Amino acid sequence: MSEQYPGYDVLAKRRTPSWNEKTRQVIDERLALSREPRYLSQEEWLVLEAICDRIVPQPRTRPPVPLAAMVDTKLFENRGDGYRDYRLPPLREAWQRGLHAIDAEARRRHNVGFAALDTAEQDALLRAVQEGALCDGGWDGMPPTIFFAKRLLPDIATLYYAHPTAWNEIGFGGPASPRGYVRMDFDRRDPWEAAEAKPGREVDAARENARAG
Amino acid sequence: MANTQTSTGFGFAALAAAGALAVLANAQRRHLNKPALPPPQPTSPQAQAAQKINLASSLLAGAVLADSAVEHYRGSFHNKAMYLPLAISAQALVAGLQGMVARNAGADVRREASHQLAVVNGAAGLGFHLYNITKRPGGIGWLNLFYAAPFGAPAALSLSGLFGLLAERIRQGGPAICGVMPRRAAAWLTAAGLLGTAGEAGLMHFRGAFHNPAMVIPVTLPPVAAALLAGATVKPCLAAPARWSLRLLVAVGFIGSAFHAYGIQRNMGGWRNWSQNLLNGPPLPAPPAFTALATAGLGALDLIARVP
Repeated sequence: MSEQYPGYDVLAKRRTPSWNEKTRQVIDERLALSREPRYLSQEEWLVLEAICDRIVPQPRTRPPVPLAAMVDTKLFENRGDGYRDYRLPPLREAWQRGLHAIDAEARRRHNVGFAALDTAEQDALLRAVQEGALCDGGWDGMPPTIFFAKRLLPDIATLYYAHPTAWNEIGFGGPASPRGYVRMDFDRRDPWEAAEAKPGREVDAARENARAG
Repeated sequence: MANTQTSTGFGFAALAAAGALAVLANAQRRHLNKPALPPPQPTSPQAQAAQKINLASSLLAGAVLADSAVEHYRGSFHNKAMYLPLAISAQALVAGLQGMVARNAGADVRREASHQLAVVNGAAGLGFHLYNITKRPGGIGWLNLFYAAPFGAPAALSLSGLFGLLAERIRQGGPAICGVMPRRAAAWLTAAGLLGTAGEAGLMHFRGAFHNPAMVIPVTLPPVAAALLAGATVKPCLAAPARWSLRLLVAVGFIGSAFHAYGIQRNMGGWRNWSQNLLNGPPLPAPPAFTALATAGLGALDLIARVP
């Protein structure tokens, strides 16, 4: 639930003409992710979870999007994007090397692992990775700035917005498969689209969203 | 999908059954009341032709009703004036049907008013649609002609009204309109309507890249029929080929709707995804406009052939 799209639940589309069997199957798989690592080690997983918490801090009022599990699944399936920056090693290697290097940097600076740092220290360290201002040499020639900009950030952000919980937040209808959209003009809306609450008109939007399936 | 189709089928069957019942009940009532009614007038060729042209005006009004209901719902009735053609075409439809079963030989002032309303509203609609096209970025250009409000559509409502008025005039015994005999006026109006509708179909089928060869038919056959029909008003030998081409067009209207139903099925999700595809796919109520115009043309030919 979000304030901007009150009462909107994209999963209400599950049994409407909006989605077909294949779409339901894909979404179900995404919702059924286990929250345990399948590819990464326990130590790598803890670092990844802490990083995800800082890149996309999530409200405590709803079940979080299992970001670490989504990244881990991407690594487990070795599902690349079809392209990568030439300065980075392949998907799995880049992530593992990056997680180890970030953890090593934390130990070097604070004598504890990245996951044990407080949020301000974590933010400072991630900022250092982003700016390349690091002292640890555990990167084996992989540029930290490129890893941050082209691997860490895009992977976490795109996976976050691949989850129905994030769709509810931004009023996105999920896969337009098979039902797409008809009313394409500015400020027009199909009855099966999320309704955005205008200030003071939240109740109207909630009523529309209860019907948007 | 099967469910939707079955229920649609049931819906049509129920409608047809209700219609048949109404017709039967009416026949029964007329039979029982026979002595009370004036003796039926001998059906003159004029009255028969007027009936055909009224059928045409009703068919056109019905097509406008269905088409504007769907398309203006798609436009979310953004402008309140978008409700107007629904109301006007509905009353024009009723006026046309009433004209078909009317027993009075002369013109009826209420029916005439209904048809005049349709003519005026159609003309106003043309203005609104033109305004809708020009106010979009790019103004009058292919993109807006393809995707903005369809420029020619409201003309169908005016045509329906004009045919309704002509039918009244013919029923009256056919005084000339500005020196033109109603039979010629009917033929020429039909020919103009056929050309306009073929133009609209051509624009839309060009937008659809003529991906199905059958999409060429509504662009090629109607101009031929229009030429034959207009020719028949001056050369009687053209009446026979004109009649055949118009009969073919009557069928083309129905077959066109069947093709459009198939086109909806071909969209992603097919008929099960009707809430998108009915709006996005080819318009179901558009092809019957050819059936309507061809019916009017046949009425005009009747007049040309049988009335000296």
